[in-house]
Amino acid sequence: MMFRHIFKYRLKCLLRDWENLFWTALFPILLASFFFMSLSNLTKNEQFNPINIAVVDNGQYRNNKSFMLALDSASKGDERLFNLSVTSQEQAEQMLKDDEIYGYIIAEEPIKLIVKNLGINQSIIKSFLDIYIQTESAAESILAENLSAMQSLLADINSRKSFVNDVPISKVAPDATTIFYYTVIAMACFYGGYLGLREVSDIQANISSVAARVNMAPVHKMKAFLSSAAAALLLHFCEVLILLAYLIFILKVDFGTRTIYVLLTAFVGSVMGLSFGTLISALVKKGEGVKIAIFTCFTMLCSFLSGMMNQGVKYKVDTELPLLSWMNPVNKLTDSFYCLHYYDTLSKYALNMAAITGFALIYCLATYLIIRRRKYASI
Amino acid sequence: MQVFKLCMQIIRKNIPVMLIYVILTAVVTALMVSDIDKEYQKEISFTPAKRSIAFISEDNSLLIDGFREALGQIVNFVELDETQLQDALYFREVTYIVRVPAGFTEEFMKGADVKIDKSTVPNSVSNTYIDLFINQYFNTARLYIKNIDGISQELLVQYLKEDLSKTSNAEVKSTTGKKVTYPTYSNNYFNFFAYTLISVIILGMSMLMIVFNDRNLKMRNSCAPVIPGSINLQFILANLFFTFASWAILVVMSFIFNYKNSLNAYTVYFIISSFIYSFCCASISFLIGNLIKSQNAVYAVCNTIGLGSSFISGVFVPQELLSGSILKIASFTPAYWYVKANNAIAKLTQFDYRHLQPIFSDLMIVAGFGLAFFAVALAIGKRKNYIEN
Repeated sequence: MMFRHIFKYRLKCLLRDWENLFWTALFPILLASFFFMSLSNLTKNEQFNPINIAVVDNGQYRNNKSFMLALDSASKGDERLFNLSVTSQEQAEQMLKDDEIYGYIIAEEPIKLIVKNLGINQSIIKSFLDIYIQTESAAESILAENLSAMQSLLADINSRKSFVNDVPISKVAPDATTIFYYTVIAMACFYGGYLGLREVSDIQANISSVAARVNMAPVHKMKAFLSSAAAALLLHFCEVLILLAYLIFILKVDFGTRTIYVLLTAFVGSVMGLSFGTLISALVKKGEGVKIAIFTCFTMLCSFLSGMMNQGVKYKVDTELPLLSWMNPVNKLTDSFYCLHYYDTLSKYALNMAAITGFALIYCLATYLIIRRRKYASI
Repeated sequence: MQVFKLCMQIIRKNIPVMLIYVILTAVVTALMVSDIDKEYQKEISFTPAKRSIAFISEDNSLLIDGFREALGQIVNFVELDETQLQDALYFREVTYIVRVPAGFTEEFMKGADVKIDKSTVPNSVSNTYIDLFINQYFNTARLYIKNIDGISQELLVQYLKEDLSKTSNAEVKSTTGKKVTYPTYSNNYFNFFAYTLISVIILGMSMLMIVFNDRNLKMRNSCAPVIPGSINLQFILANLFFTFASWAILVVMSFIFNYKNSLNAYTVYFIISSFIYSFCCASISFLIGNLIKSQNAVYAVCNTIGLGSSFISGVFVPQELLSGSILKIASFTPAYWYVKANNAIAKLTQFDYRHLQPIFSDLMIVAGFGLAFFAVALAIGKRKNYIEN
């Protein structure tokens, strides 16, 4: 009976704590939305804008009919590669200086490209020129062998084909953006720690006045703690489920087909986050502000190391500091989601889940050892 | 100056907690920026650094041997078992796996439509180079096969080797004649500044708010013989002082992290633009502090605004990669104009008025935002006082 009573009132208490609700429920959703806004363009095929270039109008250029033709055809039509201007050398230099063009071409032997700085557009111009030169060289060799091929050669040059076929390595393609969302979920699970922080503060009579009152009640401390922690866990798991639903149904993030496992991971992750919060709260004997600061920083650091801001960081840690990667609970949680999605077998997933469960057990046990049997004769 | 002194005291008391946040943000920023910088150096070059790839061939022929040799010029091969492939791609041991299917050469020599399979790490610029190379190799080969009847594989490979070794001559030339090194590190650092600074200022602001918004303290303060205008002014002064102190610390940090490439004209302009932006941050935090009562709510709202505007205005993801509609929304935030100005500074080759003018107009917009927020904050503060009285 007592369990039900505490559970019910604790849940009511937590539901009225707007700040915690914001950080644990709304903030991850906002973060995921920001990711969505800034990443949505990365995977889509961007509309290509023609690159402004110039070619120096000298005798060599005018004599090189095939090059003129190639440049001309690349600068025509709706899907053109370049916006071409034919100018004098001085004018081309001036245009480059004024950022009107990315580079200009001088039709020497070999063809020369002048640019002001390096970038993707400059590389495209260079690749275009390389392809032209190489194709021209091939055409010369072919005509030396077989002069009658002139007509068919031109047609063949203009019908370039793609020779690569994209085959995903697993059932689903490793999508660079999904891992961002996985870190958001992992972080959201871990943010359950804010609830955990509060649970322990509200059970230690020397920290808060609510706790002092609770300790007066004729209920075993562990029972009181477990009932209120159960309420916090229920609330937190619901929040994570809402986030999952938001990601899956509104942002259309692909979590693969193993829904049950995704839910299981989210649940174990919630337990881990919550228990980490209780541990920090039990360990740090300072005020609420310091506890929150330490917890926030730790979570930030873990999320950063598991690639929330930049995936390069995750891969560097995974490959160069594997121990750190295994000791980072947020990273293991991210990996669990990713493994479910990416690998055909479940062995990698099981390994990651074992790590998370281990973390959760350690946190729970440590919290228990710290807060048990603490009595207060006088406060 | 009692109010100002009080603010300083509050800040001083909270230095340990703030240091935790400031150091963490600075370290994260520095790490991340240096990582981006390295990636950038690798990717943006006419001859990109050699990437590691796996090459699996189920077909054995002279053509494929020649292809592998040619490909070896631009990549490093890593020997992998079939079972290691998923892991290798996952941990980025390789970024590209080429798989030549059985019977490829035979079909290809007949002129049939065959393809090479690839599996890749997505969104990597260097993969485009490999795609381009493969396509160029086999497109050129196709020209020979179609136009020289019965060409042998041996001869074909020889021709291809000769053709593909020819390239255009590219030259990077600055307009002043000197070779310029662009300040990519400083550019990224100062772009991240937009996020770092606003988080730090929010922290300080929320610490002041918790004291000043205490009901009892507020009542005591309002019966002090100090006019509300003066209280407000001192509060703003303290706010600005704190802002510029944090700004100075972060600027000094940028020198520490990147002392080698910091002593140039770019840094001067980055410092100017970040100074103007920090003024804008102060006014945003002041406005929010005026609108919202509880300290934690201030922190929540500011964090959302800070992260949100950073994401959409190109602090975390480069502006070129964001979609047009997002950027339109972002142009209503000061961070967008600040980042835009920074990116323009980083591309400067000449520091004359004509080239600097667009940068100054961007920064004027940032300053304008700052003034507007201050004005709104003061108006709201006045109205609130009026209602309370």
